[in-house]
Amino acid sequence: MKKILLLLGILVATLSAQAQEDATRDVLERLALASSSEQSAITEELSALGDPYIKDFVDAWRTGEVFSYDVSESETIVLRKVSEKFRRLSNDEIFEIADEENDENLSKIRPSRKLRKVLKTITDTIDLSSPDPRARIEAALKLGLSQKTDYLEALQSKIETEENEKVRLKFEEAINISLLANAEDDEALKHSIARLGELASLPARDGIIGIQNEATESGDAEMVAICAEAIKDIDSAQKTIERWGNLVRGMSTGSVLLIVAFGLAITFGLMGIINMAHGEFIAIGGYTCYVVQNLFADAFGTQSAAYQWFYWTAIPISFVVAGVIGYGLEKGMFRFLYKRPLESLLATWGLSMIMQQLFRLNFGAANVQVNTPDVLIGNFEVAGVALSYTRIFVIGFAVFVILMTWLLLSKTNLGLYIRSVMQNRNMASSLGIPVSKVNSLTFAFGCGLAALAGAALSQIGNVGPTMGQTYIVDSFMVVVVGGVGNLLGAGLSAMGIGTVDQFLQPYWGPVMGKIIVYFVIILFLQWKPGGLFPTKSRSMDD
Amino acid sequence: MAHIPAEKHTPLVLSVEGVTKSFDGFKAINDLNFYLRDGELRTVIGPNGAGKSTFMDLITARTKPDEGKINFHKDNGEDVDLTRVREHHVSQLGIGRKFQNPTIYRSHTVYDNLKLSLSGKRGLLHSLFYKESASDREKIYDVMETIRLKDHAHDLAGALSHGQKQWLEIGMLLAQDPRIMLVDEPAAGMSDEETERTGELLLSLEGKHSLIVIEHDMEFVRQIASRVTVLHQGHVLKEGSFDFVKSDPQVIEVYLGRQTRKH
Amino acid sequence: MNLFDNKLEARGFIVAAIVLLFALPMLNGLTSPDSFLHVSSFQISLWGKYVTYAILAMSLNVLWGYTGMLCLCQSLFFALGAYAFGMYLMLHVGVDTVYNTALPDFMDFQGYTELPWYWKPFESAPFAVLAAVGIPGIVSFIFGVLVFRSRIKGVYFSIITQALTYALMLLFFKNNLELFGQSFILFGGNNGLNGFKEIFGASVDSASTQRWLFIASVLLMLTVYLAIAWVLKTKFGKVQQAIRDSENRIRFSGYSTTTYKLLIFTVCAMIAGAAGALYVPQVGGINANEMTPAKSLDVVVWVAFGGRGTKFGPILGAVVVSLLKSFFLRAAPDSWLIILGAIFIFTVLFMPNGLVGLPQQLKPLWKRIRSKSTTSTVPVS
Repeated sequence: MKKILLLLGILVATLSAQAQEDATRDVLERLALASSSEQSAITEELSALGDPYIKDFVDAWRTGEVFSYDVSESETIVLRKVSEKFRRLSNDEIFEIADEENDENLSKIRPSRKLRKVLKTITDTIDLSSPDPRARIEAALKLGLSQKTDYLEALQSKIETEENEKVRLKFEEAINISLLANAEDDEALKHSIARLGELASLPARDGIIGIQNEATESGDAEMVAICAEAIKDIDSAQKTIERWGNLVRGMSTGSVLLIVAFGLAITFGLMGIINMAHGEFIAIGGYTCYVVQNLFADAFGTQSAAYQWFYWTAIPISFVVAGVIGYGLEKGMFRFLYKRPLESLLATWGLSMIMQQLFRLNFGAANVQVNTPDVLIGNFEVAGVALSYTRIFVIGFAVFVILMTWLLLSKTNLGLYIRSVMQNRNMASSLGIPVSKVNSLTFAFGCGLAALAGAALSQIGNVGPTMGQTYIVDSFMVVVVGGVGNLLGAGLSAMGIGTVDQFLQPYWGPVMGKIIVYFVIILFLQWKPGGLFPTKSRSMDD
Repeated sequence: MAHIPAEKHTPLVLSVEGVTKSFDGFKAINDLNFYLRDGELRTVIGPNGAGKSTFMDLITARTKPDEGKINFHKDNGEDVDLTRVREHHVSQLGIGRKFQNPTIYRSHTVYDNLKLSLSGKRGLLHSLFYKESASDREKIYDVMETIRLKDHAHDLAGALSHGQKQWLEIGMLLAQDPRIMLVDEPAAGMSDEETERTGELLLSLEGKHSLIVIEHDMEFVRQIASRVTVLHQGHVLKEGSFDFVKSDPQVIEVYLGRQTRKH
Repeated sequence: MNLFDNKLEARGFIVAAIVLLFALPMLNGLTSPDSFLHVSSFQISLWGKYVTYAILAMSLNVLWGYTGMLCLCQSLFFALGAYAFGMYLMLHVGVDTVYNTALPDFMDFQGYTELPWYWKPFESAPFAVLAAVGIPGIVSFIFGVLVFRSRIKGVYFSIITQALTYALMLLFFKNNLELFGQSFILFGGNNGLNGFKEIFGASVDSASTQRWLFIASVLLMLTVYLAIAWVLKTKFGKVQQAIRDSENRIRFSGYSTTTYKLLIFTVCAMIAGAAGALYVPQVGGINANEMTPAKSLDVVVWVAFGGRGTKFGPILGAVVVSLLKSFFLRAAPDSWLIILGAIFIFTVLFMPNGLVGLPQQLKPLWKRIRSKSTTSTVPVS
């Protein structure tokens, strides 16, 4: 349903854009044929239209690719030469011109110097009238930062007609930034600076600092104070934005950790295996996305709409691929390692080395590029905080995966089996639960989870042969802190570690941040040696 | 309700007063009072989940109580609060414990197992420069004689049978020569003959050591029990001679009654 | 008290001592290069490196093989020792031609004109030697107190030690550390320390220096071997193995396992540090790559492959795996990691007692084959 609405939306937008372009072409044709006295009225009309086609045409006009053509005595039209063909400006109709040089009806036209200047202002400010509010904001700030008086006027006239409140504020910001250089007197300047402080304008910060420095030199104490106040406002707003950004980054990293740690916690809780190769299953997920992407590119071409679906197709495939490989490995190797955690650690480390090397041999030692589908490109803005769609997607994806895992464990027969084998392997076996099958399936599931984490990571991190290693140490920490085999503990500690890490980074840098996190974990274990939710055991030597 | 010890002529060696311990809201031990006299052999029984193992963990400082006092009364009249020391100190004070599952050093010989348990200093330097004396050797051989493992002196402990391992662990307790011995299900996994010999061994220790024996096997309890404490829901239900306890209707209800219903 | 288990071991030890301490150095120093018996200086420093690896493996074996603690930061201690001594070597490279200062190049490059205070003591050779042993000792002691006090053991111990390795590796890969608004220059980042010229006033690269370093390494290895043999015979050694078999039992027998483990952990870290200090002048450099968690796991595979819990196993494992590595890196560089990984898996699944335990493991099999072959030959004869 949503998809259909989306398509309809796109269609409507396309149609209305077409209608607008037709109007623009009409104005342009009149302008090109008008006498110099008529031109100024038409340019005004033109500047009200925010069509990108204007820019396109003006460029062609300047470079001599626009011609007037007398169709008959009374009718003259404008032709534009596009890749060696003459097309009529108003409707793109192709005109066959046999001899370009000597056709009397055809004459090249060029805008006068004065018109060129006017046109340049129009094309430069054209985005101010763009139907896309984001383009309007971007253009306004760009023009404001240039601090040219021509643009200041354009901005001041545009702000009158702007209806979008958010865009208006940005226009105001741009005007004030421009006024930093063009203010009539000190009073106006002070007003602008104060207003920029209220608007928390980061682009204005450098300019205000410049004014502050000048004022300090000239001893204008009042100006210095106003500047300082504005800078303080800007900085504190910036801090808030950064903090929110960090939170979202931390939560998305934590989400990936969480999916990874869930897989680890399940395999460790179930079979007492420390799977050091778990990280390589993350890489399997990442590489599966890469391979599927290439297959889609080969089959449909990168420009096609179908190509956009590669990522959504790759996610389930990566789960299945890793699951199948995990199933095979469980049957061939891990089965012999049950309840021998130290040995399992070594054997799986060996496996991890082999897998890493295989990745290198197949895909090269460098990272590979997994593209982001168009839907996930861009930012979602709340109160000035830009949150990238990919990160939000990853968080949502993790919630989904965790929910599915929880449902699997608590509502299905397999889940019941898994939990019973986790608690008492011998009892479960004597009750007729197919323990070895449950083991294989659970292990496969754990590997599949790792691959899903890898698929998510392909959007917010690198895909390379050692991508798993970056996360594996952290995810072991998650398992230790959460309490072994405890999924709730894993969830809490993953989010905690991910977020703390991101919060420490701006103050201490990534390396010290990580070291502090580990140190805090060790201190935490002094207080709760069994993790958040310790497993209780009656036997002495566990 | 405090249980006042019945016999008053020998001094106390251990008093547990008002101890409570809960795990996740479940009260494994609930206001427990327990006194042990010097040289006494006490048997502790109770249905599964009565808190017997937790009781031992508390005395040996493996777990700390939420409330209450556990005092060890030293020879010189000094009291030591066992809730404030670590496990190895408890052992050094003279409280030895045998675990439910035989816990031994499987890659050491029987002889070395006992040597490590021999009473004496436990420090790093001591252990580096320790020289075996003739009296130490004699003592180890005595213990091996008692637990009938002399012929296996130089076999690896891991290779012993289950019953022999149980004995070896009892032997390690003997070598340690503690004032209090905590013995958790010594007869588990033993043949009838071995069980009986174990009973004789424990009876022979009475008077020289104070013993707390946890046991399930009623026949075995009858054999060794002079005084029996019945635990129920982490609390002392009854205390007295085996026959007294056995005929108590409350005990039959919670413990023996259950057993008869099962059969 | 006899340190050796049997005559074979005693004789083997004496032969090894004579060959390594006297024969090889003499064949290197006293024969002419053309001679059939000549041992090249390259070979001497190569084997010197293997000897330091063997010491490293022995230190891990004490922790893992005898005490049951699978430590994944042994290479870290090795590298710390190497860095400590490398700092001394780095400060004696003389005035370089590019910057014309006595400072290490990476400091010149970052605009330092003076040696930071924490580098200064390393100008002194005795201090550097002490630090090479002491710094790993201090780090391991502090870490050990925290870890053993909270009873972290088994795989959790492995995981935590790996995290320590990982964290310090990240630190050593950096050029500078920004802390409390100040910038501290570290230890050369990616490139680490190299380009050494002088050691105790002699040229590092000269044949005689390399020979003496080799002899020193062998001496350390033999000393560590004897020390391990001695400790194993004492009650301490038995407590150690008792911790591996049943930590709770030995604790309830009155031994403070925390103290024992702490001492063992610290001493082993110091041994690893000493080995690292000997490694650095023989190899000619140290960088943060030696600190990756993978390096510590390499040591584990040496010990497992040679035979953990045996005195000779770790030495054998370190040398054999290193030889295999140098062979495969030349013959088939792409496949080395795959082969190493396969060794890990194979050892764990099929060779629990390693190379040293292999004859024992194969005996029943050999007997079966022999009895089969004899029964099959009976009808023929």
